[in-house]
Amino acid sequence: MTVTQNEVTGTTSTRRLTTAKAMAEGISQEMERDPDVFYIGEDVGAYGGIFSSTTGLLERFGPERIIDTPISETAFIGLATGAAVEGMRPIAELMFVDFFGVCFDQIYNHMAKIHFESGGNVRVPMVLTTAVGGGYSDGAQHSQCLWATFAHMPGMKIVVPSTPYDAKGLMISAIRDDNPVVYMFHKGVMGLPWMAKNARATDVVPEGPYTVPIGQARTARAGRDVTVVTLSLSVHHALDVADRLAADGVMDAEVIDLRSLVPLDREAILESVARTGRLVVVDEDYLSYGLSGEVVATVTDHDPSMLRAPVARVAIPDVPIPYAHGLEAAVLPNAGRIEAALRRVVGGG
Amino acid sequence: MTDVVFPALAASDPSAEGVVATWFVRDGEHVAAEQLMAEVQVDKVSMEVPAPAAGTVHLLVAEEAVVPQGTVIARIE
Repeated sequence: MTVTQNEVTGTTSTRRLTTAKAMAEGISQEMERDPDVFYIGEDVGAYGGIFSSTTGLLERFGPERIIDTPISETAFIGLATGAAVEGMRPIAELMFVDFFGVCFDQIYNHMAKIHFESGGNVRVPMVLTTAVGGGYSDGAQHSQCLWATFAHMPGMKIVVPSTPYDAKGLMISAIRDDNPVVYMFHKGVMGLPWMAKNARATDVVPEGPYTVPIGQARTARAGRDVTVVTLSLSVHHALDVADRLAADGVMDAEVIDLRSLVPLDREAILESVARTGRLVVVDEDYLSYGLSGEVVATVTDHDPSMLRAPVARVAIPDVPIPYAHGLEAAVLPNAGRIEAALRRVVGGG
Repeated sequence: MTDVVFPALAASDPSAEGVVATWFVRDGEHVAAEQLMAEVQVDKVSMEVPAPAAGTVHLLVAEEAVVPQGTVIARIE
């Protein structure tokens, strides 16, 4: 547990929030500070966001700044891009990242490229929020992470918070950034009462506004024997496994929470692997052509001799995510798969 | 001493049971008035429970416990 210090009053606070409430608080405080910030998307008003990303904001800011839309992602993401070009700071929510297919021209060819194509003369200071991830039997079209699909295209920053503290701080950083930022929140880290219980989804959050730097990884757990590079809900699973293996005296694993994919904090990866000599990447996106390969290449491009054992990647095998709960559990990067990879990498070196 | 009561979410069924989904405070911690203490749920409807007064918290019900609406789930001294 963290205890935060109020720099103004000097008092400590143990006020806790879920990740969802922390995210909404970050949005709310920026909307109070800056009248150009508004939030637009499907069910973001009266419903409060289907994963509680905007709960309470309509009551506070009204329908002109918390804007419910028809099911028309191309239209409202295009609208947000246009508003950003004209100087506002919109936040557009793509309800599930899986729905990107119907609006990817606006994202890939407009939101991500206008600042480049204008020679830097036109800025696009917008945030695209989107829910990602599986684990609750929502099927192949509602359970993907797909962050590598967004990170692949130059022009967008990508942030992926795993904790309440980072959810608020990265949201404020994303809103204040002059570049388009994609903010990807896993449903399993939000602390929703109707999802699987996750004790790590509730933690101490400072009451005032603060930022978390985009492009900076966080050491979620320091360790000596192996580096686990991961993000989002997989951070929680990796910490559970690492804590248990340490308590059993098996190994002392370091867990790096990337927090941002673009820019990727390659120095943090290299610094850790230089110490441990072993690397496991845990990624809830598809295995091939994705983040896990990029992390490994970060090490081997720099100095393959840093590695004292072959790398292990724990990701979604290259299949659509099954609806059947048992099958879905088998393809997700669960604790059992993470532990097996850690034992293999540490035992095999 | 102030009781913290599980709110009546199901008005048409006063005896309905609900879940203390999340405790945002720990036993023995100090809370400010109106600080978020808990999130409770009846069926799929959830509600926040703010602290009715400032003071030291004594939790009477475990997280994820199922209790009838109206149950005293904590006390504040």
